[in-house]
Amino acid sequence: MVSEAIFETINRLLSNVLLDSKLLNENEIYTEILPGNIKPACLNIYSNIDCVLIDLFGNDLSQSHSEKIIIYYTFSVRSSNTLITLFTQVPKDDILQLESISGEIPSAALYEREVQDMYGISFLDIPDSRELVHHGNFPLKVYPLRKAFKVNTRLDFERREQEFVSISGTGVFEVPVGPVHAGIIEPGHFRFSVAGEPIINLEAKLYYVHRGLEKLAENQNFMRVLLLSERISGDETYTNSLAYCQAVEKLGGITYLSERALYTRVIFSELERICAHLGDISGLCVDTAYVFPAGQFAMMRRWILILCEQLTGSRFLRNTNKPGGLRRDFIRDNEKIIVECMDKLEKEFKDSVNIIKNNGMFIDRVEHTGILSREIAADLNAVGPGGRASGIKTDVRKEFPYAAYGKLKFNIPEHFNCDVNCRMNVKVEEISESISLIRQALEKMPAEGPVHIEIEELIPNAFAFGMTESPRGENVHFVMTGENNTILRYKVRTPSFCNWPALCHAVKSNTLTDFPLINKSFNLSYAGNDL
Amino acid sequence: MNNIIKKMLQHGTVTVDYPKKPIKSSFITGAPEFDLKKCKRCMRCLNTCPTGAIVFADNPSEKAKTPAVNLDECIFCRFCEENCSQGAVSLTSRFELAQKNREALRASPVYVQDNEAGGLEYELIGKQLKEKVYSTFGKSLHIREVDAGSCNGCDYEINALGSPYNDIERFGIHFVASPRHADMLLVTGCVTRNMEEALIKTYNAVPSPKLVVAVGACACSGGIFKDSYAGKNGIDSILPVDVYIPGCPPRPQAIIYGILKSIGRL
Repeated sequence: MVSEAIFETINRLLSNVLLDSKLLNENEIYTEILPGNIKPACLNIYSNIDCVLIDLFGNDLSQSHSEKIIIYYTFSVRSSNTLITLFTQVPKDDILQLESISGEIPSAALYEREVQDMYGISFLDIPDSRELVHHGNFPLKVYPLRKAFKVNTRLDFERREQEFVSISGTGVFEVPVGPVHAGIIEPGHFRFSVAGEPIINLEAKLYYVHRGLEKLAENQNFMRVLLLSERISGDETYTNSLAYCQAVEKLGGITYLSERALYTRVIFSELERICAHLGDISGLCVDTAYVFPAGQFAMMRRWILILCEQLTGSRFLRNTNKPGGLRRDFIRDNEKIIVECMDKLEKEFKDSVNIIKNNGMFIDRVEHTGILSREIAADLNAVGPGGRASGIKTDVRKEFPYAAYGKLKFNIPEHFNCDVNCRMNVKVEEISESISLIRQALEKMPAEGPVHIEIEELIPNAFAFGMTESPRGENVHFVMTGENNTILRYKVRTPSFCNWPALCHAVKSNTLTDFPLINKSFNLSYAGNDL
Repeated sequence: MNNIIKKMLQHGTVTVDYPKKPIKSSFITGAPEFDLKKCKRCMRCLNTCPTGAIVFADNPSEKAKTPAVNLDECIFCRFCEENCSQGAVSLTSRFELAQKNREALRASPVYVQDNEAGGLEYELIGKQLKEKVYSTFGKSLHIREVDAGSCNGCDYEINALGSPYNDIERFGIHFVASPRHADMLLVTGCVTRNMEEALIKTYNAVPSPKLVVAVGACACSGGIFKDSYAGKNGIDSILPVDVYIPGCPPRPQAIIYGILKSIGRL
């Protein structure tokens, strides 16, 4: 009902400029606009409807006789469970140019740079037009996501100097860090501008682990793309594959999934969340040189990993999901070990949190460190624990209920101090909520029933979004099908993509030595950002 | 402090005594195995394998071509097991799969994609120093980890080596912050375009004699990210590799097994 009301509103707001408008998959509105009108249309939506930009991406739909690239602008109306997608066709023989919206909608900046690198569409008046994905080694005028580009093309290496934002002044120095870091973490280059200890500016150069995942998914069977989706980011395996499965289920015409599968999906999503958050809290203890609780949390994390392995054979919950349900019934006869593990974890977790919270030296390090103000968080669309600690109460599980979340009771933690401590507290509270969710799911789950519905055939040339709440926040996957059960376009936007710029703001005016701590409090995925 | 001591007494030592005591759990995901008696040679597994790891190779004992798995390419996705109508393929719990030769992991001959970074020269040095390496690093080994394009799964498992359960320092093995302090490079990922230079620089910064261990399917062969414009097919296309550890990701004990194997302690 609500989506329909928004559909009407959009048709009214854009009545002068829209070419076509559709409401698909219950809550996804697709509206076509001419390229010249796309900027005013986006701003019109953005200012008149309470929504945020959650995705901006391209899609090459060239056929032998007509060449065109389509650019999608996706807005999420979080209060009423609706996605609005404005799209425009840019004919390829024209000058590929659109007006940039990132002056007015700051979170669009990185998306536009990505589209620029991958499709060769330039954005007029873009505040920052530097290369994002390619690092200056990519030949100019080669755009990997265009249809004409073959996935296994071997390209020459070029050397173009890449510029960083430079800050000058007496006593201002630049400190380059990475891509190979001191710890066992993923690669990324950080350029700090510091005056003494305090950081004036941080620029993160990422995309070191860009593997061409979206291109690899092109024209592949949907079951193979499932495996790619599981390997987007190591510790978000389950929620990424779930987002993909949900999108594919819509395209396979499945409207109803078995109850048992839905509850199992909740249990696995929450196990993954507990595991990721325990790792983060352990990492915070390591970065404050507080070894004992770090070991405690690492031990608990291992309990969960072992539980996952016992249930599914994989410590990272790989090979569990499948469009239409699950690969097999993993929970059957295992209810007892899950409950036992949750009881054991709850007690131990409470004790360990007590230990760290009663340590003044630890709290001194995390309190008032790495403040991400509410305004910046809102402008950049910070999601997940990073956003929730800055007062942005957003959670896909509540706003776009999927799996069995609509039938379960849980709270979303909310904090307003915006610092490392708040982000840690959000995670601590989320672990307690997750334990309760798993217990509820086990209780409510029907004892018998299938866990999988076979998908016969995907509707060709259709598209849908799949959204989940991963441990790091809102996860948006867009899937478009081709002929014969293949995937034509798979666009992944993980929460890390939104939160990286937020991290760069949060470290400002903190000391350089606090950077690892602030970084860990967000614990963003490089692989999930770079794809 | 009181609480900390209480917890210490409560949990005691949690470290698993691997490899002295072997790990025996039925739920571990390990190498796929074929039951040739059941197999009808329908090729279904070969067609559904997402990474092309299953091949029909010459089998001298059967005097015919039989299905087999190239473990360096396998991502342990269970597609073969689920799609076999005869139940002839199953994933065992055999996880100690690391090998010093890529050929030993494979049933079909290896094809290395390209060798741009003067790999031959490195390889020669590597071979000459191998014996010296074993005697030098036998009891103490310093490792530098480099992620060259993994999904972070392997890196989490390497991180877990430092957790109380695995505690790799009990072998005298230590993770260091700089390649200058390292004897071994532990590399994950398929080597992306953007990491290639950094990986070579890191390798050159490690003082000789040095070892390179490839962790995970991506590092061994490119895995699911094989043949992408943005990456290479595994570490050995640019560096000489001493030990390959297959898995997606390999569990911590499989990594321990591989590391110990590389320094001749198994």
